[in-house]
Amino acid sequence: MKNNSQPANFFRALWAVVWKDLSAEWRSRELLTAMLVFALLVILIFNFALELDARARASVTSGVLWVTFAFAGTLGLNRSMAAEKDRGCLDGLLLTPVDRSAIYFGKAIGNLIFMFVVEVIVLPIYSVLYNINLFRPGLLLVIVLGSIGYVAVGTLLSTMAVQARTRDILLPILLFPLVVPVMIAAVKASGGFLQGLPWDEISIWINLLIVYDVIFVAVAFMFFDYVVEE
Amino acid sequence: MQSKPRFLSILDTVTAILFVVAVAMVFFYAPLERTMGQVQKVFYFHVATAWVGMLGFMVAAVVGVLYLTKNDRKYDIAGLAAIEISLVFFFIAIILGSIWARPVWNTWWTWDPRLTTATIVELIYAAYMMLRQGIEDPDRRARFGAVYAILGFISVPLTFISIRLLRTIHPVVIGNSDPSAEGSFSMTGPMKTTFFYSLFVFSVLFVDLFWHRIRMGKLAAKVEELRLKVSS
Amino acid sequence: MLMALFQAPPDTTGYMIAGFAVFFGVMLVYLVSYFVRFKNLRQDLEVLQEIDSEE
Repeated sequence: MKNNSQPANFFRALWAVVWKDLSAEWRSRELLTAMLVFALLVILIFNFALELDARARASVTSGVLWVTFAFAGTLGLNRSMAAEKDRGCLDGLLLTPVDRSAIYFGKAIGNLIFMFVVEVIVLPIYSVLYNINLFRPGLLLVIVLGSIGYVAVGTLLSTMAVQARTRDILLPILLFPLVVPVMIAAVKASGGFLQGLPWDEISIWINLLIVYDVIFVAVAFMFFDYVVEE
Repeated sequence: MQSKPRFLSILDTVTAILFVVAVAMVFFYAPLERTMGQVQKVFYFHVATAWVGMLGFMVAAVVGVLYLTKNDRKYDIAGLAAIEISLVFFFIAIILGSIWARPVWNTWWTWDPRLTTATIVELIYAAYMMLRQGIEDPDRRARFGAVYAILGFISVPLTFISIRLLRTIHPVVIGNSDPSAEGSFSMTGPMKTTFFYSLFVFSVLFVDLFWHRIRMGKLAAKVEELRLKVSS
Repeated sequence: MLMALFQAPPDTTGYMIAGFAVFFGVMLVYLVSYFVRFKNLRQDLEVLQEIDSEE
């Protein structure tokens, strides 16, 4: 009986954390609005900075998309953890008798959902603006895998960053050097799908993304305990 | 603070002598490389500094694990010491690599996997320093530092693999598609001796500096403790 | 000797000197910073110990 109830408790706690984030966001919508507006502004700036004409577009679209996701993602990660910290919710969460890893996965899944929402809105807008069809199954797979790796590390690091004095500037500095492999693999794989390259040339990047995701989800899960210890 | 241990003084002297011998070997014992000329002499210290840098980052990850399991401050002090020294050595290695690349590859910088990975690694540990500076509570600083040192070290092989794949699939525009081919050379006997001797000397130098830096770390911890006590 | 005459190596002495200058320069800066920090810590410790003993 005990063995049976423990996983059930774990998932109930995890779901509660996710649900708390989503319902709070549903009421205020401040995080998603900020991420979205910011993402669109980044694309706008790229449009002028890179002169995204038809020829340039084909080669740089995947890069522009991933830089946009990465920047918007940092904004979301920072905000979501800072809100916990400032309202004292983090301490409250830690006092509850649930497994710490449930809190980690709950926060990570919440962050992942926010990132997916932004991506799902940015993709059609980008498609319309530049007349490119971005809804290809391969590209969506890359976006899912890339976002998982990004959020897995990002959730752990943002938990650390919000507890530091220099928190707003700290997260990107901590996060970006560690997600270089995700960025390279995601940009190359997305570019490959957009240019219609054969699977043989893309699969290696997908494999790399999967390896990164597995390693860093495991590592972040293992170390989360140490970054919330009081 | 106890006075300087005698063995450390001996180590200082030994390191200094070994180091002078290494410099002499580089200039007078190792023969001149024919196609690259004098600049090849930079190579011995370039590889040695890079090796010591990597060694220090590895040490930091190991003591990071030890800190998290044993919760002993001395491991945190050792971790910070290793990373600080390695940052200096790695910085030298990157600059030396760039200086070497200029006459040999005809460019200051190529996005070669090793050079690029080295730069990203340097940035990771610079971020480590910034993280530590942003946290006042010593316990929390130590925990976060340990976690980030481990995370950073794990990401290094993945970064290297991804950049390597990027370069082999996409040939670089400037220079050869495989930069390690151009400017490579076979080491003759005296060159090999000098090379391995440099690696050895720099390892000893690392141990010496590491020891000194740990002593300073302990002193700093003591000062911090006392400061908290006095101000409260 | 003859080989060396046939194939004179390119003159890269300037780069070599620059390389070693960077190496010794950075090492020197690091060592100086180390000694300065060590000395400052010693002074801090003395001052703090004095204050501590007065209380």
